[in-house]
Amino acid sequence: MKFFGKRLFRPHSIWIRKLVQWFFFLLIAFIAVNHTLVESGAGIPFLSSASLHALCPFGGVVTIYQFATVGTFVQKIHESSFVLMIIGFALAFLFGPVFCGWVCPLGTVQEWMAKLGKKLFKRRYNHFVPARLDQVLRYARYLVLAWVVYVTATSGTLIFADYDPYYALFNFWTSEVAVGGLIILGATLVLSLFVERPWCKYACPYGAVLGLTNLFRIFKIKRAASTCKADGACSILCPMNIPVDTQNAVRDHQCISCLECTSEAVCPVAKTVIFTAGAVK
Amino acid sequence: MTLNSKSLAVILFVVLFGGIALSAALGWWQTESSKVAATYTEGEFAGQANPADIRGSYTFGDVEKNFGIPAALLAQAFNIQTDDPDAFATKELETIYAESTLEVGTASVRLFVAFYNGLPFDLSTEIYLPQSAADILHTRTLTPEQLAYLDAHIVPDPAAPAVDSAPITESTPEAEATERLVKGKTTFQEVLDWGVPQSVIEQILGAPMPNPLTTVKDFCTAQGLSFETVKAQLQAEVDKVK
Ligand code: SF4
Ligand code: SF4
Repeated sequence: MKFFGKRLFRPHSIWIRKLVQWFFFLLIAFIAVNHTLVESGAGIPFLSSASLHALCPFGGVVTIYQFATVGTFVQKIHESSFVLMIIGFALAFLFGPVFCGWVCPLGTVQEWMAKLGKKLFKRRYNHFVPARLDQVLRYARYLVLAWVVYVTATSGTLIFADYDPYYALFNFWTSEVAVGGLIILGATLVLSLFVERPWCKYACPYGAVLGLTNLFRIFKIKRAASTCKADGACSILCPMNIPVDTQNAVRDHQCISCLECTSEAVCPVAKTVIFTAGAVK
Repeated sequence: MTLNSKSLAVILFVVLFGGIALSAALGWWQTESSKVAATYTEGEFAGQANPADIRGSYTFGDVEKNFGIPAALLAQAFNIQTDDPDAFATKELETIYAESTLEVGTASVRLFVAFYNGLPFDLSTEIYLPQSAADILHTRTLTPEQLAYLDAHIVPDPAAPAVDSAPITESTPEAEATERLVKGKTTFQEVLDWGVPQSVIEQILGAPMPNPLTTVKDFCTAQGLSFETVKAQLQAEVDKVK
């Protein structure tokens, strides 16, 4: 709804992003199911039946060390993980962690839980954790990253698979799934009722890697201070609680390029919060 | 340049699926370990499949595809009684020959393939073949050097182990004990896992231990140490822990 060139305050959302998220969620779900079917001899033809490990860009990251030192891949990781890792980095270099905001199915299910949480708690949703504590906890994912890289490098096996909630999400029907992964997945889903994307914020090692690109990515979220009404809508609704309204360009290591803060979605003023490689006034 | 959500979505799809398509076209998109052996990169045989790249996950069928040696012949060479030689994975050899004091495994298949096809092969390591394989190789043309190596590396036939198509079903206590054997494929990590402390390993090596994922053999070859000696010393330590 437009009113003298300005939209009335009404939270919109980026519908196409939801569509893309659905697409990838279904794609990965089908592939995972097909993988199980093929192993029992009844696969759907024309659909990839790759193991999820082969389709995980983070697999590429954890295997780098072994690849560089002994020239082999960690068990279960294949060339395709490397390819996806490179594509993921290329995208992140340009646009930041778009993988997180648009593709990652684990991010998507957390957002679905968030819908419920928003119904329950309205505006209090995603604002429960005290800011100071939250700030510190957000660095925990780098510890997880360091741990994962370390244990993979020293053991040469994919130990993280036993704790990976993403793997658990798409394998809960198989015997391959580890209890650790299921517990973490369950905890993530429950916490998602209070905090948006808790796994992403506090634990995800791949989010940690991609998040670093926020410091130098080419396309950034920028705010035109001259037209900003300072109503704080962008900051309140940012899933990652980034104070967009106090910054001219978002460099926060947690931004996931979801574009929800832009004038296309929650910012009520046209062309004020934009996704650009250029400068804004 | 400013992007809206729709252009970002389009770019995302183009980069992601375009990237996958491109890598597939270049042959990088592999979601499973490839069963195509690497080729020789130089010399007379450049471009031909290199037996040194045969891996434990290769079945006799894969070997046949890569090197044109019939799977049935391979089964005969290694004394494998099975109805489906195509499906026999070379890594199973180790289990079957577990009782043999001299290791017969994937390396033996590499050696056999190289000799059978008259391909160059690095003979600086000790690789053993069963008598039956040697018998077949004796019918091929081998260089004097290869013949000498072959005759020095024969494992006497065990009382023809009878194997059905699922060989690793029963694990006797003996088989478990023999699992803690230092072999060509053994990594330092495994030796550590068997309870030999790093300091002891380093004492034997007379050098700092490398990345634990390196195989003992590779390390010895690279350092000019005798694998046989190191192996025996490590084995003694492993047995002590038992
Ligand atoms: S932070 Fe991790 S879990 Fe969250 S969207 Fe990114 S990759 Fe997925
Ligand atoms: S700053 Fe904007 S684009 Fe980044 S996570 Fe927050 S709402 Fe999404």
